[in-house]
Amino acid sequence: MQVDKRFVPEGLLYARNDYWVKATADEAVIGLTAYGQDVTGDILYLELPPVGDSVSRGEDSGSIESGKWVGRLLPPVTGTVLERNSVLEEDPSGANQDPYGVGWLIRVRLADPSELEVLLSPAAYREWIEEQIRREQEEEGAL
Amino acid sequence: MDLYDLAGIDWWSTQCYYHALAYLGREGLIICYPTSPYVCLGLHDDLEQEIDRSYCEARGLPLLRRETGGGVVYLDCNQIFFQLVLRRDNPVLPLKRQRFYKHFLQPAIRACQLFGLPAELREPADIVACGRKCSGNAAGDIGECVAYVGNILLDFDFDLMSSLLWVPGPGFKECLRVAMRRYLTTLADWLPVPPSYLQLSTALAAGFAGEFGPLNRRLPDEELEAEAGRLKQRLTDRSWLSLPGHKTKERRIKIAEGVYLVESGCARGESRILLLRDGMTTDLADCPDLLSDRNISPDTQHRASALEYIADGA
Repeated sequence: MQVDKRFVPEGLLYARNDYWVKATADEAVIGLTAYGQDVTGDILYLELPPVGDSVSRGEDSGSIESGKWVGRLLPPVTGTVLERNSVLEEDPSGANQDPYGVGWLIRVRLADPSELEVLLSPAAYREWIEEQIRREQEEEGAL
Repeated sequence: MDLYDLAGIDWWSTQCYYHALAYLGREGLIICYPTSPYVCLGLHDDLEQEIDRSYCEARGLPLLRRETGGGVVYLDCNQIFFQLVLRRDNPVLPLKRQRFYKHFLQPAIRACQLFGLPAELREPADIVACGRKCSGNAAGDIGECVAYVGNILLDFDFDLMSSLLWVPGPGFKECLRVAMRRYLTTLADWLPVPPSYLQLSTALAAGFAGEFGPLNRRLPDEELEAEAGRLKQRLTDRSWLSLPGHKTKERRIKIAEGVYLVESGCARGESRILLLRDGMTTDLADCPDLLSDRNISPDTQHRASALEYIADGA
């Protein structure tokens, strides 16, 4: 199943490095966006941070392997890991097929809820990914 | 860009220098080969699942886990490495990182062509000659940089590679050896005398200069040596090597892009050895000649007789 890379649900916040955040009180669920999984490609393995670990905004907290590439997991907010999606450890395809649903990555207790204020609204993120898609098309032509 | 044309260096240095450049945030191109053999795991390889440790220990083969992707590889002086480290914000890097292989592998493709191989890119990241892989490649984010690494196979010890991987039994091991021989190729298959390191490194450096601009030859400095030494400790540390990795329910070994050898369980506790190629699945017990067609070198045809052993019910 292919998810539309332009799909940006309402009710979530977004980071320019293609993560979504669903914030509730002092907790947040984090996942890769539909556009993020499209750029990453078919995910073969996800190394998620263990429960209890602290993760920091933009800091290396795990890794994502896809095809011939290993990228870093860079959470958009700081906090303590309360839960990680263990289903993805056995079968990471959910992160590609249903990135806003079964493909969520981690749930954290927020250390600094004010970090949410710098995240993008759905409308702003849609604009951002349109820019990125234009850049991709230029790159495709150049390569 | 800095060029470190290092020729033969310690086995661990062939991995640690490029990691060190990346962690130091320094761009550069390294060309080298290891003076002694070793085994290198990908970042997410599971040591227990992938490696026959007793074989490696008996052979004195050291292990290292790199921070780039891909699978376990046996590396020795018959492989010339080329390793490019770029800062993540370098504008030559596309948003879809895998697309950069097309760029990165051009110098190696041209070098292979120069020495007579009909080399071409098989996307996303293989170099093939007549459909057979002749270069191993991997990439990943390291620190604030990205590293693309590859090698050109002058020759390859297929027996040793099939022995150092953990396999479910002798039949699988034999199939693995024959399948690797069928789907991989080396310069030694094509040339009576493979090119020297100097010839290959010169061709690679010229290719990279053409792709990325002038190269400034230099040697590793104190900062790089110190960082590489620190990384040696980490990348070869027992706890790092033993990190849990990608576990699979069935034994599956990737041979080339789109080609896998798989042991698949079936009824009555028996298992079958399957060859997956471009989405097609073949049970090797049903097709003992699959790996012995006319495209295989005489040596390989000889080795393919191993499949008859499997077909005979061994």
